[in-house]
Amino acid sequence: MNLLEHALATWMPAQRWFPGDRIGGDVTVIADTLLAAGDPELRHLIVSVRSGRPAGPPAGPPPARYQVLAGFRRQMPAELAHAVIGTDQRGKTVYDGLHDSELTTVLLRAIAGERADGPLVFTREPDVAIDLTARSLVLSVEQSNTSLVFGDSAILKVFRRLFAGPNPDLEITSALARLGSSDIARPLGSVSSRLDGEPVLLAVLSEFQRGACDGWQLALTSLRDLYARATDRAAEAGGDFAGEAHRLGAATARVHADLARAFGTQTLNPEELAGLAGQMTLKLKEASAEVPALATFADKIATAYAALAEITEPVTVQRIHGDYHLGQVLRSRSGWVLLDFEGEPLVPLDRRRDLAPALRDVAGLLRSFDYAARHLLVGHPDASRLSGTALEWVARNSAAFCEGYAEEHGSDPRDQAILLRALMLDKAVYEVMYEARHRPSWQDIPLDAIAGL
Amino acid sequence: MATAPDKPTPPMPTPPPLTGFAGPAATPVPDPFSFDQPRDPEWFKRAVFYEVLVRGFHDSNNDGTGDLRGLMSRLDYLQWLGIDCLWLLPIYASPLRDGGYDISDFTTVLPEFGNVGDFVELVDEAHKRGIRVIADLVINHTSDAHPWFQASRSDPDGPFGDFYVWSDEDTGYPDARIIFVDTEQSNWTFDQVRGQYYWHRFFSHQPDLNYDNPKVQDAILEVLRFWLDLGIDGFRLDAVPYLYEREGTNCENLKETHEYLRRIRSEVDRQYPDRVLLAEANQWPTDVVEYFGDRVLGGDECHMAFHFPLMPRIFMAVRREQRYPISEIMAQTPEIPSGCQWGIFLRNHDELTLEMVTDDERDYMYSEYARDPRMKANIGIRRRLAPLLDNDRNQLELFTALLLSLPGSPVIYYGDEIGMGDNIWLGDRDGVRTPMQWTPDRNAGFSRCDPARLYLPLIMDPMYGYQAINVEAQENNNGSLLFWTRRMIEIRKRHPVFGLGRYEELSSSNPSVLAFVREHPDPGNSQEAADRILCVNNLSRFPQPVELDLRRFKGITPIECMGGVRFPPIGDLTYLLTLPGHGFYWFQLPPVQER
Repeated sequence: MNLLEHALATWMPAQRWFPGDRIGGDVTVIADTLLAAGDPELRHLIVSVRSGRPAGPPAGPPPARYQVLAGFRRQMPAELAHAVIGTDQRGKTVYDGLHDSELTTVLLRAIAGERADGPLVFTREPDVAIDLTARSLVLSVEQSNTSLVFGDSAILKVFRRLFAGPNPDLEITSALARLGSSDIARPLGSVSSRLDGEPVLLAVLSEFQRGACDGWQLALTSLRDLYARATDRAAEAGGDFAGEAHRLGAATARVHADLARAFGTQTLNPEELAGLAGQMTLKLKEASAEVPALATFADKIATAYAALAEITEPVTVQRIHGDYHLGQVLRSRSGWVLLDFEGEPLVPLDRRRDLAPALRDVAGLLRSFDYAARHLLVGHPDASRLSGTALEWVARNSAAFCEGYAEEHGSDPRDQAILLRALMLDKAVYEVMYEARHRPSWQDIPLDAIAGL
Repeated sequence: MATAPDKPTPPMPTPPPLTGFAGPAATPVPDPFSFDQPRDPEWFKRAVFYEVLVRGFHDSNNDGTGDLRGLMSRLDYLQWLGIDCLWLLPIYASPLRDGGYDISDFTTVLPEFGNVGDFVELVDEAHKRGIRVIADLVINHTSDAHPWFQASRSDPDGPFGDFYVWSDEDTGYPDARIIFVDTEQSNWTFDQVRGQYYWHRFFSHQPDLNYDNPKVQDAILEVLRFWLDLGIDGFRLDAVPYLYEREGTNCENLKETHEYLRRIRSEVDRQYPDRVLLAEANQWPTDVVEYFGDRVLGGDECHMAFHFPLMPRIFMAVRREQRYPISEIMAQTPEIPSGCQWGIFLRNHDELTLEMVTDDERDYMYSEYARDPRMKANIGIRRRLAPLLDNDRNQLELFTALLLSLPGSPVIYYGDEIGMGDNIWLGDRDGVRTPMQWTPDRNAGFSRCDPARLYLPLIMDPMYGYQAINVEAQENNNGSLLFWTRRMIEIRKRHPVFGLGRYEELSSSNPSVLAFVREHPDPGNSQEAADRILCVNNLSRFPQPVELDLRRFKGITPIECMGGVRFPPIGDLTYLLTLPGHGFYWFQLPPVQER
């Protein structure tokens, strides 16, 4: 490893977007593209990181690839001190260039000008205007990507870990934008390259929702108010969320209708329906083996899946959001906007475009209401007194969401009770496994939900 | 800064000097308000208004009813508070079946209040203290006791026969809604004397004038000239959307109404510059902007109009602990012509108007703010600010800070500056019209009459009664709501950008925090134009952190307006602030110092 790679090997594990806290193996820069020469200089790096096993066959898991936009300066201004990565072979300071608004403007200009730099291709969506004078700011709230806001009109999401293959998010938002949807953030442009002989999306520029905040934060505002109040009736609390839930249901239904228009629908035949139930059952078995507490409910859940396989009325499938929860929606000044159509993160990219019942998204959001209400009670001194209040909040907002969905869609999700229940159980089973691995103290959230479903 | 030679010695205690970043002292500038020389045609954009009920402010002749001379004796208090303009509720001769909005003689003062001479003296005394005076004027209708109506009903062919809207049928204009749904069944009422129906948008004893009659148009202009010649600084024109009626419409906001308002405005501009017309049009902002008139001309109808929907939205946002009710209505508020200004208020003499919110939200506001059905009236809630907020000082301060910092000229309702209460057991809207509480003495210092003669009983409950809540107690206490309000008004007046600047909401990740910047659209080079204020408000009762995107102001050191404390300079990262429950900050953002 050269000096730069050594610096990266120390810096990367300290970043929020990096899974784990250390690197056992090699760090290699496998692609290096100069985007702006001079001082400061901007280079686009793709960095390959091997896990700790010894190199050479038999190989461990394939190396993970990360994207770093590296800035280089001889003199570092104080306000960039927090972004320093280290020193390179030339004696220049290397730093995370995304924090330097002097350098990020290069990316904006490249997209606006549809530039191509080596393997990097910058694309602008047709008929969009990009404000080139806007300075960028790194949003500090993200887990797996880094987002820059330019002025108050555009946001550039820069992926950190790269996955080769077509990206469903850009495909879906472009298609919905063409249909004139106002329920999504319109894409303005993108940056892509190739990795392992396949296309890879590096960054997406889209419309920024000024003054917006995510649904999870807004729901917590409502819940904090409810829990701190003498009343235990969600409808009477000042921070009632039902109006928002109703509008969110309607926005969700509109996006589903647009997705159906843009990508078509199919009807599951009995074998496919049984296949769907079969997949769920498989997941259940895997989870029950891992989490003993789930085993008590296994029969109940299996019965619900069996009922799904027996449904006689047609089940329609279509492109869906795939990873839908309150953190994926933004409340803007005019209403709700849906974000991040990348699909279920654990599913391989090429499977994320599979068709699924739209109710999978509905189930995801209803589970999210449950999470929002219950996670605040983990370790809460009044948890037992408030649990009924929490359930009432969930029921009230789930009903409002479904009513809003029904008003826009024509049919109420609750009318497909067997399907919805199976999808919610499937989601909860996944959650149990996730919590058992990562947050054992939260495991009761999905387990309680399964008991109640 | 000019000092008037005849400035009276204020009987109020001299306020202690401000500590920290005080800037120039905000002594009101006495102003001759010359008729020939308009010195400040945009005064109303920076002014702090004070809505005063003459009947309820101070009684000079001990008959139990407040009067113009009583108000005059309290002008020093208003000057001390920092008020720029008084808005008087109707002062005209009236049978008082609708709080004076039923005028029976446009050019006579209600005898209980005094006479025209008293009014002229009041205006002169106010002007000496740098305070202007505007008054309510109802031009849509009169009382049925008005001589015009009496002549019209008894002599259909006489000179006043067509002064009102008469019909043989009660079926005309069926699309016009009935405004006072609690008391009126129809907008038509049969008159036994004339044997015809007459049109009225409000109470049946308030017949609408017939503006299709040119003589009515001229007569009302004559009324305006009468008061303008006496020195009044403007009018709040009551119920302006309803002047004309046309079949097949809802009879609101018709183009003929706008034409007549333009005629009034051109008359005012020609003969009485420096005066202001304030439209009372309880409509959505997109419709209300029509009352400002032509944008290209900078506005050629009313100078000001009330922003009605904002007020219930402020209440809702704080109750919901999130900013969207306010953000949405601000986003839906169109730009107004350059010569115009919104009037904004938290409470006024009417009920908390809920016509402007959706049915769901109205039910919610009822359940939140009016647990007792007697607190509701028509489509609103009849309460004063302090009881609406459970007398919570933090919320009172937050609401007042919003009133003084959101775009528009603030209107303070008399008594709200000391946190007066209401009496929900009084009829109609009288619950919020009780006597001003000056002292803990008999009749609250309002009148020396026998308490039984008071026009309305004083508030006497333990929390809001005059023994607890009164001006005297609060003006001697630096920690009082009154002192605090005065201080905030002073800060507002030190920064004209609050009145003149544009409003830009800032993005923040915390939905409970409403943050915005007030700044001049074109900063230029002058010191005043470079003024800029950042306001950050926590709408939740819990402490909140917020990260603000302030890149635009990189390098600037925010200065907190109350204490003058310098905060850390704004850098490339988001700016982190923490706010206590219902807390707020006002920061001055001075221009970057050249190094």
